[in-house]
Amino acid sequence: MMRWRTYTDRLIVLAVILAAWQVGSFLVGPYWLSSPGAVAARFCAQIWNGELIRHGGYTVEEALIGTLVGGVPAVLLPFLLRRHPVMVAILDPFMVGGYGAPKLAFAPLFILWFGIGIESKIALVAGVVFFIVYFNALSGVRALDPRLVQMAQIAGAGERHVARHVVLPAAVPHILAGFRIAVPYAIGGAIIAELISSNRGLGYLVQTGAMNFDTTSVFSAILAATLIVHAANWLLNAAERTLLRWRPPAQAMLDAEN
Amino acid sequence: MGEAPLLEIKELGKRFAARQGREPSPWVIQGLSFAVQPGEFLTIVGPSGAGKSTLLNMIAQIDTVSEGEIVFNGEALASRDARALRPGCGRRIGYVTQDDNLLPWRTTFDNVLFPIEVQGRLDAETRAHAEMLVGAVGLAGFERYYPHELSGGMRKRAALIRTLAYDPPVILMDEPFAAVDAQTRAQLQADLLRLWSLKRKTIIFVTHDITEAIALGDRALVLSRQPARIAAEHAIPIPRPRKVEDIFAVEGFATVYERIRAAIQ
Repeated sequence: MMRWRTYTDRLIVLAVILAAWQVGSFLVGPYWLSSPGAVAARFCAQIWNGELIRHGGYTVEEALIGTLVGGVPAVLLPFLLRRHPVMVAILDPFMVGGYGAPKLAFAPLFILWFGIGIESKIALVAGVVFFIVYFNALSGVRALDPRLVQMAQIAGAGERHVARHVVLPAAVPHILAGFRIAVPYAIGGAIIAELISSNRGLGYLVQTGAMNFDTTSVFSAILAATLIVHAANWLLNAAERTLLRWRPPAQAMLDAEN
Repeated sequence: MGEAPLLEIKELGKRFAARQGREPSPWVIQGLSFAVQPGEFLTIVGPSGAGKSTLLNMIAQIDTVSEGEIVFNGEALASRDARALRPGCGRRIGYVTQDDNLLPWRTTFDNVLFPIEVQGRLDAETRAHAEMLVGAVGLAGFERYYPHELSGGMRKRAALIRTLAYDPPVILMDEPFAAVDAQTRAQLQADLLRLWSLKRKTIIFVTHDITEAIALGDRALVLSRQPARIAAEHAIPIPRPRKVEDIFAVEGFATVYERIRAAIQ
Protein backbone atom coordinates (compact mmCIF):
# COMPACT_ATOMS: atom_id res chain seq x y z
CA MET A 1 0.00 0.00 0.00
CA MET A 2 1.05 3.55 -0.51
CA ARG A 3 2.55 5.29 2.45
CA TRP A 4 0.76 8.16 4.19
CA ARG A 5 3.66 10.35 3.27
CA THR A 6 2.64 10.12 -0.39
CA TYR A 7 -0.83 11.41 0.43
CA THR A 8 0.41 14.33 2.55
CA ASP A 9 2.98 15.25 -0.10
CA ARG A 10 0.24 15.24 -2.72
CA LEU A 11 -1.77 17.66 -0.61
CA ILE A 12 1.28 19.94 -0.44
CA VAL A 13 1.64 19.87 -4.24
CA LEU A 14 -2.09 20.63 -4.60
CA ALA A 15 -1.76 23.58 -2.18
CA VAL A 16 1.17 24.98 -4.17
CA ILE A 17 -0.76 24.73 -7.44
CA LEU A 18 -3.84 26.39 -5.94
CA ALA A 19 -1.72 29.15 -4.37
CA ALA A 20 0.01 29.87 -7.69
CA TRP A 21 -3.38 29.94 -9.39
CA GLN A 22 -4.76 32.30 -6.74
CA VAL A 23 -1.76 34.64 -7.12
CA GLY A 24 -2.13 34.54 -10.91
CA SER A 25 -5.81 35.34 -10.69
CA PHE A 26 -5.03 38.22 -8.32
CA LEU A 27 -2.38 39.62 -10.68
CA VAL A 28 -4.31 39.48 -14.00
CA GLY A 29 -7.73 39.95 -12.47
CA PRO A 30 -10.56 37.45 -11.98
CA TYR A 31 -12.13 38.62 -15.21
CA TRP A 32 -9.35 36.91 -17.21
CA LEU A 33 -8.38 34.15 -14.80
CA SER A 34 -10.94 33.00 -12.30
CA SER A 35 -9.78 32.18 -8.76
CA PRO A 36 -9.77 28.65 -7.28
CA GLY A 37 -12.30 29.67 -4.64
CA ALA A 38 -14.77 30.99 -7.20
CA VAL A 39 -14.34 27.86 -9.35
CA ALA A 40 -14.93 25.58 -6.36
CA ALA A 41 -18.07 27.52 -5.41
CA ARG A 42 -19.35 27.44 -8.99
CA PHE A 43 -18.52 23.75 -9.30
CA CYS A 44 -20.53 22.91 -6.17
CA ALA A 45 -23.43 25.08 -7.29
CA GLN A 46 -23.50 23.44 -10.74
CA ILE A 47 -23.37 19.99 -9.18
CA TRP A 48 -26.21 21.00 -6.86
CA ASN A 49 -28.47 22.33 -9.60
CA GLY A 50 -27.71 19.29 -11.77
CA GLU A 51 -26.12 21.25 -14.62
CA LEU A 52 -22.72 19.52 -14.40
CA ILE A 53 -24.29 16.13 -13.82
CA ARG A 54 -26.43 16.50 -16.93
CA HIS A 55 -23.72 17.85 -19.23
CA GLY A 56 -21.00 15.67 -17.71
CA GLY A 57 -23.23 12.61 -18.08
CA TYR A 58 -23.75 13.46 -21.72
CA THR A 59 -20.01 13.72 -22.31
CA VAL A 60 -19.40 10.44 -20.45
CA GLU A 61 -22.06 8.76 -22.57
CA GLU A 62 -20.37 9.90 -25.79
CA ALA A 63 -16.95 8.83 -24.55
CA LEU A 64 -18.19 5.47 -23.31
CA ILE A 65 -20.13 4.50 -26.45
CA GLY A 66 -17.29 5.79 -28.62
CA THR A 67 -14.75 3.78 -26.63
CA LEU A 68 -16.82 0.62 -27.12
CA VAL A 69 -17.47 1.27 -30.82
CA GLY A 70 -13.76 1.89 -31.42
CA GLY A 71 -12.26 -0.40 -28.81
CA VAL A 72 -14.10 -3.68 -29.45
CA PRO A 73 -13.05 -4.02 -33.11
CA ALA A 74 -9.57 -2.81 -32.14
CA VAL A 75 -9.28 -5.74 -29.73
CA LEU A 76 -10.85 -8.30 -32.08
CA LEU A 77 -8.89 -7.42 -35.22
CA PRO A 78 -5.42 -8.52 -34.01
CA PHE A 79 -6.95 -11.81 -32.85
CA LEU A 80 -8.61 -12.47 -36.19
CA LEU A 81 -5.40 -11.54 -38.00
CA ARG A 82 -3.16 -13.58 -35.69
CA ARG A 83 -2.78 -16.38 -38.20
CA HIS A 84 -2.50 -14.02 -41.16
CA PRO A 85 0.69 -12.00 -40.73
CA VAL A 86 0.52 -10.99 -44.41
CA MET A 87 -2.78 -9.19 -43.77
CA VAL A 88 -1.26 -7.40 -40.79
CA ALA A 89 1.67 -6.34 -42.97
CA ILE A 90 -0.67 -5.07 -45.71
CA LEU A 91 -2.72 -3.08 -43.22
CA ASP A 92 0.26 -1.75 -41.30
CA PRO A 93 0.98 1.51 -43.21
CA PHE A 94 -2.72 2.39 -43.12
CA MET A 95 -2.93 1.71 -39.41
CA VAL A 96 0.20 3.77 -38.76
CA GLY A 97 -1.31 6.53 -40.87
CA GLY A 98 -4.58 6.33 -38.98
CA TYR A 99 -2.71 6.37 -35.69
CA GLY A 100 -0.63 9.37 -36.69
CA ALA A 101 -3.32 11.43 -38.42
CA PRO A 102 -4.71 14.26 -36.27
CA LYS A 103 -8.12 12.72 -35.64
CA LEU A 104 -9.42 15.85 -33.92
CA ALA A 105 -9.11 17.61 -37.26
CA PHE A 106 -11.85 15.28 -38.49
CA ALA A 107 -14.32 16.73 -35.98
CA PRO A 108 -15.79 19.35 -38.38
CA LEU A 109 -16.10 16.66 -41.05
CA PHE A 110 -17.88 14.24 -38.70
CA ILE A 111 -20.25 17.01 -37.65
CA LEU A 112 -20.95 17.64 -41.32
CA TRP A 113 -21.65 13.94 -41.89
CA PHE A 114 -23.37 12.89 -38.70
CA GLY A 115 -24.93 16.14 -37.47
CA ILE A 116 -24.45 17.99 -34.20
CA GLY A 117 -25.99 15.19 -32.14
CA ILE A 118 -24.28 12.37 -30.28
CA GLU A 119 -23.36 10.43 -33.45
CA SER A 120 -20.60 12.80 -34.58
CA LYS A 121 -19.00 12.70 -31.10
CA ILE A 122 -19.14 8.90 -30.98
CA ALA A 123 -17.51 8.75 -34.42
CA LEU A 124 -14.67 11.01 -33.33
CA VAL A 125 -14.07 9.18 -30.03
CA ALA A 126 -14.22 5.79 -31.77
CA GLY A 127 -11.67 6.94 -34.34
CA VAL A 128 -9.29 8.12 -31.63
CA VAL A 129 -9.71 5.03 -29.42
CA PHE A 130 -9.54 2.45 -32.23
CA PHE A 131 -5.95 3.12 -33.30
CA ILE A 132 -4.53 3.37 -29.78
CA VAL A 133 -6.15 0.12 -28.64
CA TYR A 134 -5.38 -1.66 -31.94
CA PHE A 135 -1.64 -1.16 -31.62
CA ASN A 136 -1.64 -2.21 -27.99
CA ALA A 137 -3.71 -5.34 -28.63
CA LEU A 138 -1.46 -6.14 -31.60
CA SER A 139 1.67 -5.88 -29.49
CA GLY A 140 -0.04 -8.11 -26.90
CA VAL A 141 -0.75 -10.78 -29.51
CA ARG A 142 2.81 -10.48 -30.82
CA ALA A 143 4.46 -10.62 -27.40
CA LEU A 144 2.95 -14.07 -26.88
CA ASP A 145 5.48 -16.73 -25.92
CA PRO A 146 5.32 -19.34 -28.74
CA ARG A 147 6.45 -22.04 -26.30
CA LEU A 148 3.18 -21.64 -24.39
CA VAL A 149 1.26 -22.16 -27.63
CA GLN A 150 3.30 -25.28 -28.42
CA MET A 151 2.72 -26.62 -24.93
CA ALA A 152 -1.03 -26.10 -25.36
CA GLN A 153 -1.07 -27.74 -28.81
CA ILE A 154 0.87 -30.76 -27.57
CA ALA A 155 -1.63 -31.02 -24.71
CA GLY A 156 -4.38 -31.30 -27.31
CA ALA A 157 -5.67 -27.72 -27.48
CA GLY A 158 -7.31 -26.76 -30.76
CA GLU A 159 -7.12 -23.34 -32.39
CA ARG A 160 -10.05 -21.96 -30.37
CA HIS A 161 -8.68 -23.22 -27.08
CA VAL A 162 -5.30 -21.67 -27.85
CA ALA A 163 -6.97 -18.34 -28.65
CA ARG A 164 -9.12 -18.38 -25.55
CA HIS A 165 -6.78 -19.88 -22.93
CA VAL A 166 -3.37 -18.73 -24.13
CA VAL A 167 -3.46 -15.79 -26.55
CA LEU A 168 -6.24 -13.79 -24.91
CA PRO A 169 -5.01 -13.92 -21.29
CA ALA A 170 -1.49 -13.08 -22.45
CA ALA A 171 -2.79 -10.03 -24.32
CA VAL A 172 -5.03 -8.71 -21.52
CA PRO A 173 -2.30 -6.61 -19.84
CA HIS A 174 -1.54 -4.95 -23.18
CA ILE A 175 -5.22 -4.39 -23.97
CA LEU A 176 -5.80 -2.79 -20.56
CA ALA A 177 -2.74 -0.59 -21.07
CA GLY A 178 -4.25 0.48 -24.40
CA PHE A 179 -7.52 1.49 -22.77
CA ARG A 180 -5.63 3.28 -20.02
CA ILE A 181 -3.96 5.47 -22.65
CA ALA A 182 -7.15 5.80 -24.73
CA VAL A 183 -9.62 6.89 -22.02
CA PRO A 184 -8.31 10.44 -21.49
CA TYR A 185 -8.24 10.87 -25.28
CA ALA A 186 -11.83 9.61 -25.45
CA ILE A 187 -13.04 12.23 -22.94
CA GLY A 188 -10.89 14.88 -24.64
CA GLY A 189 -12.19 13.92 -28.09
CA ALA A 190 -15.80 14.13 -26.96
CA ILE A 191 -15.22 17.56 -25.45
CA ILE A 192 -13.43 18.89 -28.54
CA ALA A 193 -16.30 17.74 -30.75
CA GLU A 194 -18.75 19.46 -28.39
CA LEU A 195 -16.67 22.64 -28.49
CA ILE A 196 -17.02 22.80 -32.24
CA SER A 197 -20.73 22.23 -32.38
CA SER A 198 -23.12 21.03 -29.74
CA ASN A 199 -25.92 22.10 -27.49
CA ARG A 200 -25.00 19.78 -24.65
CA GLY A 201 -21.95 18.38 -22.82
CA LEU A 202 -18.96 19.77 -20.96
CA GLY A 203 -17.48 21.14 -24.20
CA TYR A 204 -20.67 23.12 -24.71
CA LEU A 205 -20.32 24.54 -21.17
CA VAL A 206 -16.72 25.55 -21.92
CA GLN A 207 -17.78 27.14 -25.19
CA THR A 208 -20.69 29.16 -23.74
CA GLY A 209 -18.58 30.12 -20.70
CA ALA A 210 -15.83 31.50 -22.92
CA MET A 211 -18.31 33.36 -25.14
CA ASN A 212 -19.77 35.05 -22.08
CA PHE A 213 -16.30 35.87 -20.69
CA ASP A 214 -17.22 33.66 -17.72
CA THR A 215 -13.85 32.02 -16.99
CA THR A 216 -15.21 30.54 -13.76
CA SER A 217 -17.67 28.46 -15.75
CA VAL A 218 -14.90 27.33 -18.16
CA PHE A 219 -12.70 26.15 -15.30
CA SER A 220 -15.62 24.46 -13.57
CA ALA A 221 -16.30 22.37 -16.71
CA ILE A 222 -12.59 21.52 -17.11
CA LEU A 223 -12.46 20.47 -13.45
CA ALA A 224 -15.42 18.17 -14.06
CA ALA A 225 -13.67 16.63 -17.10
CA THR A 226 -10.51 16.08 -15.06
CA LEU A 227 -12.45 14.35 -12.30
CA ILE A 228 -14.17 12.12 -14.87
CA VAL A 229 -10.77 11.03 -16.22
CA HIS A 230 -9.64 10.28 -12.67
CA ALA A 231 -12.74 8.20 -12.00
CA ALA A 232 -12.27 6.27 -15.26
CA ASN A 233 -8.65 5.60 -14.34
CA TRP A 234 -9.70 4.36 -10.92
CA LEU A 235 -12.18 1.97 -12.53
CA LEU A 236 -9.49 0.68 -14.90
CA ASN A 237 -7.15 0.14 -11.96
CA ALA A 238 -9.84 -1.86 -10.19
CA ALA A 239 -10.43 -3.93 -13.35
CA GLU A 240 -6.71 -4.53 -13.63
CA ARG A 241 -6.41 -5.67 -10.03
CA THR A 242 -9.12 -8.25 -10.63
CA LEU A 243 -8.07 -9.39 -14.10
CA LEU A 244 -4.33 -9.45 -13.45
CA ARG A 245 -4.25 -11.07 -10.02
CA TRP A 246 -1.92 -13.66 -11.48
CA ARG A 247 0.93 -11.29 -12.15
CA PRO A 248 3.94 -11.12 -9.86
CA PRO A 249 3.58 -8.07 -7.59
CA ALA A 250 6.84 -6.42 -8.72
CA GLN A 251 5.63 -6.27 -12.30
CA ALA A 252 2.14 -5.12 -11.34
CA MET A 253 3.57 -2.36 -9.16
CA LEU A 254 5.86 -1.10 -11.92
CA ASP A 255 2.90 -0.84 -14.26
CA ALA A 256 0.70 0.85 -11.68
CA GLU A 257 3.30 3.56 -11.18
CA ASN A 258 3.56 4.31 -14.88
CA MET B 1 11.76 -57.21 -25.56
CA GLY B 2 10.57 -59.38 -28.38
CA GLU B 3 7.58 -57.15 -29.15
CA ALA B 4 7.46 -54.52 -31.86
CA PRO B 5 8.96 -51.17 -30.88
CA LEU B 6 6.49 -48.43 -29.98
CA LEU B 7 8.63 -45.75 -31.51
CA GLU B 8 11.29 -46.11 -34.18
CA ILE B 9 13.67 -43.41 -35.33
CA LYS B 10 15.18 -44.30 -38.69
CA GLU B 11 18.20 -42.50 -40.18
CA LEU B 12 16.91 -39.20 -38.84
CA GLY B 13 18.59 -36.01 -40.04
CA LYS B 14 18.02 -32.33 -39.33
CA ARG B 15 19.50 -29.15 -40.69
CA PHE B 16 17.86 -25.78 -40.28
CA ALA B 17 16.60 -23.94 -43.34
CA ALA B 18 18.96 -21.48 -44.93
CA ARG B 19 18.26 -17.82 -44.39
CA GLN B 20 18.55 -15.48 -47.35
CA GLY B 21 22.11 -15.04 -48.52
CA ARG B 22 23.45 -17.72 -46.24
CA GLU B 23 24.61 -21.26 -46.55
CA PRO B 24 22.21 -23.85 -45.12
CA SER B 25 23.14 -24.74 -41.57
CA PRO B 26 25.35 -27.80 -41.06
CA TRP B 27 23.63 -31.02 -40.11
CA VAL B 28 22.62 -30.87 -36.45
CA ILE B 29 21.56 -34.50 -36.48
CA GLN B 30 22.41 -37.06 -39.15
CA GLY B 31 21.85 -40.77 -39.56
CA LEU B 32 20.39 -41.15 -36.09
CA SER B 33 18.48 -44.37 -35.45
CA PHE B 34 17.08 -46.05 -32.37
CA ALA B 35 13.94 -47.81 -31.21
CA VAL B 36 11.93 -47.60 -28.00
CA GLN B 37 9.96 -50.50 -26.56
CA PRO B 38 6.59 -49.98 -24.88
CA GLY B 39 7.01 -49.30 -21.17
CA GLU B 40 10.71 -48.59 -21.50
CA PHE B 41 12.50 -45.81 -19.67
CA LEU B 42 15.10 -44.70 -22.18
CA THR B 43 17.65 -42.03 -21.29
CA ILE B 44 19.67 -40.11 -23.87
CA VAL B 45 22.91 -38.50 -22.74
CA GLY B 46 24.82 -36.02 -24.80
CA PRO B 47 26.98 -32.94 -24.48
CA SER B 48 25.31 -29.52 -24.43
CA GLY B 49 24.40 -28.33 -27.90
CA ALA B 50 24.36 -31.84 -29.31
CA GLY B 51 20.85 -31.45 -30.70
CA LYS B 52 19.04 -33.28 -27.91
CA SER B 53 16.19 -30.77 -27.75
CA THR B 54 15.95 -30.71 -31.54
CA LEU B 55 15.56 -34.49 -31.53
CA LEU B 56 12.71 -34.35 -28.99
CA ASN B 57 11.07 -31.44 -30.84
CA MET B 58 10.97 -33.59 -33.97
CA ILE B 59 9.48 -36.55 -32.12
CA ALA B 60 6.92 -34.26 -30.46
CA GLN B 61 6.02 -32.95 -33.94
CA ILE B 62 6.76 -29.32 -33.24
CA ASP B 63 9.76 -29.27 -35.56
CA THR B 64 10.19 -30.68 -39.07
CA VAL B 65 12.46 -33.54 -40.09
CA SER B 66 15.01 -32.96 -42.87
CA GLU B 67 15.60 -36.61 -43.69
CA GLY B 68 14.74 -40.02 -42.30
CA GLU B 69 11.60 -41.27 -40.66
CA ILE B 70 9.83 -41.41 -37.34
CA VAL B 71 7.55 -44.41 -36.99
CA PHE B 72 5.12 -44.34 -34.10
CA ASN B 73 2.95 -47.39 -33.44
CA GLY B 74 3.63 -48.66 -36.94
CA GLU B 75 2.56 -45.35 -38.50
CA ALA B 76 5.09 -43.11 -40.22
CA LEU B 77 4.66 -39.54 -39.03
CA ALA B 78 4.47 -37.03 -41.86
CA SER B 79 6.90 -34.49 -40.59
CA ARG B 80 8.71 -32.87 -43.52
CA ASP B 81 6.14 -30.14 -44.01
CA ALA B 82 5.68 -27.69 -41.13
CA ARG B 83 1.95 -27.38 -41.89
CA ALA B 84 1.44 -31.15 -41.70
CA LEU B 85 2.89 -31.35 -38.17
CA ARG B 86 0.51 -32.47 -35.49
CA PRO B 87 2.02 -31.31 -32.20
CA GLY B 88 1.81 -34.09 -29.64
CA CYS B 89 0.65 -36.51 -32.33
CA GLY B 90 -2.99 -36.43 -31.28
CA ARG B 91 -2.33 -36.30 -27.50
CA ARG B 92 -0.32 -39.52 -27.68
CA ILE B 93 3.10 -37.96 -27.14
CA GLY B 94 3.50 -35.80 -24.04
CA TYR B 95 6.41 -33.41 -23.68
CA VAL B 96 7.94 -32.05 -20.48
CA THR B 97 10.20 -29.25 -21.69
CA GLN B 98 13.22 -27.62 -20.07
CA ASP B 99 11.14 -24.56 -19.25
CA ASP B 100 8.06 -25.41 -17.25
CA ASN B 101 5.79 -23.39 -19.62
CA LEU B 102 3.11 -23.09 -16.97
CA LEU B 103 0.39 -20.62 -17.93
CA PRO B 104 1.05 -17.70 -15.56
CA TRP B 105 -2.64 -16.75 -15.32
CA ARG B 106 -3.71 -20.18 -14.10
CA THR B 107 -3.27 -21.51 -10.61
CA THR B 108 -1.17 -24.62 -10.04
CA PHE B 109 -4.14 -26.93 -10.07
CA ASP B 110 -5.73 -25.26 -13.10
CA ASN B 111 -2.41 -25.66 -14.92
CA VAL B 112 -2.39 -29.37 -14.09
CA LEU B 113 -5.97 -29.66 -15.33
CA PHE B 114 -5.33 -27.63 -18.50
CA PRO B 115 -4.71 -30.58 -20.90
CA ILE B 116 -7.65 -32.57 -19.52
CA GLU B 117 -9.86 -29.50 -19.81
CA VAL B 118 -9.02 -28.69 -23.45
CA GLN B 119 -9.37 -32.37 -24.32
CA GLY B 120 -12.89 -32.22 -22.91
CA ARG B 121 -12.20 -35.03 -20.45
CA LEU B 122 -12.64 -33.13 -17.20
CA ASP B 123 -14.82 -35.17 -14.87
CA ALA B 124 -14.78 -36.41 -11.30
CA GLU B 125 -12.43 -39.25 -12.14
CA THR B 126 -9.77 -37.28 -14.03
CA ARG B 127 -9.97 -34.55 -11.40
CA ALA B 128 -9.42 -37.05 -8.61
CA HIS B 129 -6.47 -38.50 -10.52
CA ALA B 130 -4.96 -35.01 -10.86
CA GLU B 131 -5.49 -34.39 -7.15
CA MET B 132 -3.72 -37.65 -6.38
CA LEU B 133 -0.75 -36.54 -8.49
CA VAL B 134 -0.65 -33.14 -6.78
CA GLY B 135 -0.41 -34.93 -3.45
CA ALA B 136 2.13 -37.46 -4.74
CA VAL B 137 4.67 -34.77 -5.65
CA GLY B 138 4.10 -32.73 -2.48
CA LEU B 139 2.16 -29.85 -4.02
CA ALA B 140 -0.87 -30.29 -1.74
CA GLY B 141 -1.73 -26.91 -0.22
CA PHE B 142 -0.34 -25.04 -3.23
CA GLU B 143 -3.21 -25.76 -5.63
CA ARG B 144 -4.49 -22.19 -5.57
CA TYR B 145 -1.07 -20.56 -5.97
CA TYR B 146 -0.05 -18.86 -9.19
CA PRO B 147 3.16 -20.08 -10.87
CA HIS B 148 5.14 -16.98 -9.86
CA GLU B 149 4.39 -17.79 -6.23
CA LEU B 150 6.00 -21.25 -6.50
CA SER B 151 9.67 -22.20 -6.21
CA GLY B 152 11.55 -23.51 -9.25
CA GLY B 153 11.29 -27.11 -8.02
CA MET B 154 7.54 -26.80 -7.44
CA ARG B 155 7.05 -25.42 -10.92
CA LYS B 156 8.93 -28.41 -12.35
CA ARG B 157 6.69 -30.76 -10.38
CA ALA B 158 3.58 -29.00 -11.61
CA ALA B 159 4.79 -29.21 -15.23
CA LEU B 160 5.62 -32.88 -14.77
CA ILE B 161 2.25 -33.90 -13.36
CA ARG B 162 0.43 -31.73 -15.90
CA THR B 163 1.69 -34.19 -18.52
CA LEU B 164 1.20 -37.29 -16.36
CA ALA B 165 -2.36 -36.23 -15.54
CA TYR B 166 -3.65 -36.70 -19.09
CA ASP B 167 -1.83 -39.98 -19.46
CA PRO B 168 -0.21 -39.95 -22.91
CA PRO B 169 1.35 -43.33 -23.78
CA VAL B 170 4.74 -41.74 -24.56
CA ILE B 171 6.35 -38.94 -22.58
CA LEU B 172 9.37 -36.98 -23.76
CA MET B 173 11.41 -35.18 -21.11
CA ASP B 174 14.01 -32.58 -22.00
CA GLU B 175 16.33 -32.05 -19.02
CA PRO B 176 13.30 -31.26 -16.91
CA PHE B 177 15.33 -31.09 -13.72
CA ALA B 178 18.35 -29.21 -15.05
CA ALA B 179 17.59 -25.86 -13.50
CA VAL B 180 17.07 -26.91 -9.88
CA ASP B 181 19.51 -27.52 -7.03
CA ALA B 182 20.99 -30.97 -6.43
CA GLN B 183 18.77 -31.90 -3.47
CA THR B 184 15.56 -30.86 -5.19
CA ARG B 185 16.67 -32.73 -8.27
CA ALA B 186 17.22 -35.97 -6.32
CA GLN B 187 13.73 -35.53 -4.86
CA LEU B 188 12.20 -34.90 -8.27
CA GLN B 189 13.97 -37.94 -9.72
CA ALA B 190 12.65 -40.09 -6.89
CA ASP B 191 9.13 -38.71 -7.46
CA LEU B 192 9.38 -39.48 -11.16
CA LEU B 193 10.58 -43.06 -10.58
CA ARG B 194 7.82 -43.68 -8.06
CA LEU B 195 5.13 -42.38 -10.43
CA TRP B 196 6.62 -44.36 -13.29
CA SER B 197 6.63 -47.57 -11.26
CA LEU B 198 2.89 -47.11 -10.63
CA LYS B 199 2.09 -46.81 -14.30
CA ARG B 200 4.79 -47.87 -16.70
CA LYS B 201 4.73 -45.24 -19.39
CA THR B 202 7.21 -45.14 -22.22
CA ILE B 203 9.62 -42.35 -21.35
CA ILE B 204 12.41 -40.79 -23.39
CA PHE B 205 14.45 -38.70 -20.98
CA VAL B 206 17.17 -36.43 -22.32
CA THR B 207 19.92 -35.17 -20.03
CA HIS B 208 23.57 -34.12 -20.01
CA ASP B 209 24.01 -35.61 -16.52
CA ILE B 210 25.43 -39.16 -16.71
CA THR B 211 24.42 -39.99 -13.12
CA GLU B 212 20.83 -38.99 -13.84
CA ALA B 213 20.78 -41.07 -17.02
CA ILE B 214 21.92 -44.14 -15.06
CA ALA B 215 19.70 -43.54 -12.03
CA LEU B 216 16.54 -43.32 -14.11
CA GLY B 217 16.91 -45.39 -17.26
CA ASP B 218 16.57 -49.00 -18.35
CA ARG B 219 18.89 -48.16 -21.19
CA ALA B 220 21.07 -45.17 -21.98
CA LEU B 221 21.94 -43.89 -25.45
CA VAL B 222 24.96 -41.65 -25.87
CA LEU B 223 24.86 -38.96 -28.56
CA SER B 224 27.96 -37.84 -30.40
CA ARG B 225 28.82 -34.21 -31.04
CA GLN B 226 27.47 -32.57 -34.17
CA PRO B 227 26.12 -33.99 -36.24
CA ALA B 228 24.46 -36.00 -33.51
CA ARG B 229 24.11 -39.74 -33.95
CA ILE B 230 24.12 -42.64 -31.54
CA ALA B 231 27.70 -43.08 -30.31
CA ALA B 232 26.98 -45.88 -27.87
CA GLU B 233 24.18 -47.78 -26.19
CA HIS B 234 24.29 -49.18 -22.67
CA ALA B 235 21.82 -51.37 -20.88
CA ILE B 236 21.62 -50.37 -17.22
CA PRO B 237 21.44 -53.57 -15.23
CA ILE B 238 20.68 -51.92 -11.87
CA PRO B 239 17.59 -53.56 -10.37
CA ARG B 240 14.48 -51.56 -9.48
CA PRO B 241 13.22 -50.08 -7.25
CA ARG B 242 16.27 -47.83 -7.18
CA LYS B 243 17.25 -45.28 -4.59
CA VAL B 244 18.49 -42.30 -6.54
CA GLU B 245 20.42 -40.80 -3.60
CA ASP B 246 22.53 -43.92 -3.17
CA ILE B 247 22.88 -44.78 -6.83
CA PHE B 248 26.66 -44.24 -6.69
CA ALA B 249 27.05 -47.01 -4.16
CA VAL B 250 25.15 -49.59 -6.21
CA GLU B 251 27.17 -52.38 -7.73
CA GLY B 252 27.65 -51.87 -11.42
CA PHE B 253 27.18 -48.08 -11.31
CA ALA B 254 30.86 -47.26 -11.63
CA THR B 255 31.36 -49.52 -14.65
CA VAL B 256 28.39 -48.09 -16.57
CA TYR B 257 29.38 -44.55 -15.59
CA GLU B 258 32.93 -45.04 -16.90
CA ARG B 259 31.73 -46.55 -20.14
CA ILE B 260 29.27 -43.73 -20.82
CA ARG B 261 31.82 -41.07 -19.90
CA ALA B 262 34.32 -42.60 -22.29
CA ALA B 263 31.73 -42.66 -25.06
CA ILE B 264 30.84 -39.00 -24.58
CA GLN B 265 34.42 -37.68 -24.70
